[in-house]
Amino acid sequence: MKAPPVSISCRDLTLRFPVYGVDAKSLKKHLAKITVGGKLGRHHGSTDVTALSKLNLELKAGDRLGLIGHNGSGKTTLLRALSGAYEPDEGEIEVQGHIAALLDLNLGIDPTATGMDNIRLRGRIAGLSAKQVDERLPEIAEFSGLGPFLEMPVKTYSAGMQARLAFAAATAVEADVLLMDEWIAVGDADFQKIAHKRLLKLVERAGILVLASHDVELLRLYCNKVMRLEGGVASPVTDIKKLDELLAA
Amino acid sequence: MDTATHMLRTGRQGPLFEVQMALRDLRASGERIDLAWSLAWHDVVSRYRGSILGPLWITLSMGLMILGIGVLWGELFRVPVQTFIPFVAVGIVFFGTVTTTINEGCETFVGAAGMLSQTALPMLTFVWRTVMRNLIYLAHHLVIVLGVLVYFGYWQSANYPIALLGLFFLVANIAWISLLVGIISARFRDIPQIVQSITQAAAIMTPVFWLPDRIPERYHLILDLNPFYHLLEAVRAPLLGKGVAPHTYLFLAGMAVVGWGLTFSLFSNTRRRIVHYL
Repeated sequence: MKAPPVSISCRDLTLRFPVYGVDAKSLKKHLAKITVGGKLGRHHGSTDVTALSKLNLELKAGDRLGLIGHNGSGKTTLLRALSGAYEPDEGEIEVQGHIAALLDLNLGIDPTATGMDNIRLRGRIAGLSAKQVDERLPEIAEFSGLGPFLEMPVKTYSAGMQARLAFAAATAVEADVLLMDEWIAVGDADFQKIAHKRLLKLVERAGILVLASHDVELLRLYCNKVMRLEGGVASPVTDIKKLDELLAA
Repeated sequence: MDTATHMLRTGRQGPLFEVQMALRDLRASGERIDLAWSLAWHDVVSRYRGSILGPLWITLSMGLMILGIGVLWGELFRVPVQTFIPFVAVGIVFFGTVTTTINEGCETFVGAAGMLSQTALPMLTFVWRTVMRNLIYLAHHLVIVLGVLVYFGYWQSANYPIALLGLFFLVANIAWISLLVGIISARFRDIPQIVQSITQAAAIMTPVFWLPDRIPERYHLILDLNPFYHLLEAVRAPLLGKGVAPHTYLFLAGMAVVGWGLTFSLFSNTRRRIVHYL
């Protein structure tokens, strides 16, 4: 059976983010509120923040979308929604293809386990069987360039080394859709070069890249399209050549 | 390699739809049960990296506790060591599995925040991970149980199939409790302490360290209404060559059905929200 082509499509995607303050998280305070008969706060003491509102997005194979926007404009939320972790409150997200998300470097990595074990774990999470992971281990290990350090616990790694490990592990799975937050800039020049190559290979394989970044040069390097988010509202997707206009707007 | 996958996420479409989605999560977690196993195995291996005995450390300390309590309390209660040590050994091992699975259940989602916030993994995978991890530990502790049963001559009279049936009921129940406390602990951060107090109190109120037949008739409700007693008795009694009262099975089956029903509907309602609680 021929698999349908890789694509991302969001229709009227709205995502509200309940923010549970420290106050709202204590059961005692929750009960105390009820017993004194006070009105329950907005949504049981939490405040809703609309992180994305009515977002429409259509991406097809070969698209490399750059996301720009101020801090808190919804870039990461959109990436998390695309990864399947956040479910929309309204609207729809549909993704065809195998997704790899590189969002938070430290999350999902067990700092006390060795690099090798973390690669295994990541591979298993990404949907590989134990056997497939073992087959790919040498290649991933080589790509990471960490050599003997792979036998050391990840807590001994520098930020750049962690980035190498996470990137190597995540891209080793033949992902069609790669979601990245801007941390890719952490690695050293060598790593930047090989990461660049691998990203280009991914795009050649007709995948989709969605990259959130503040770094205009990075976006120009990797992306062919760009979208600006502001307070959860998205601009139309435009060509990367119009990035300056978009930034000025 | 065929990596083609399809993901469709939609907004809320009524309670029935939420239940459907929760069932889909259940099915997906079943299809990837080997992932839960890998995670559980990883937990066990990485927790004991660099130690010589690994999880057997807990087994060892449990063994010492059983020996101490078995001999000293047996003397205090005037129960012969031959009957008291096997009773305490089986009790501590299986009760330990019940309480740690419930206590660690609080960490199920909180501890997986990293994975949950950037992947589309089924949420229930992490519940199975907690349960399986504790079953791996149980497998280690069974060394004590088998040793004691053989040493004190219970191994021939023990009814293993019935004990296995009891274990099934035990796991079916602690799994939903684990899921329940996992969800609530994600929302309210003071739940783990409360859960721990409850399991601690249960250790005292349940005949783990004392014989149930020593309790006066008027206090029998402490046994009859104590879910922990039934959970334990379903496994312990057959291993010690005794029968299990039918009302124990009735209690456990009812508890599993009602517990899963309520917990699963809570899960259906909160499934989307759990990742935001973290």
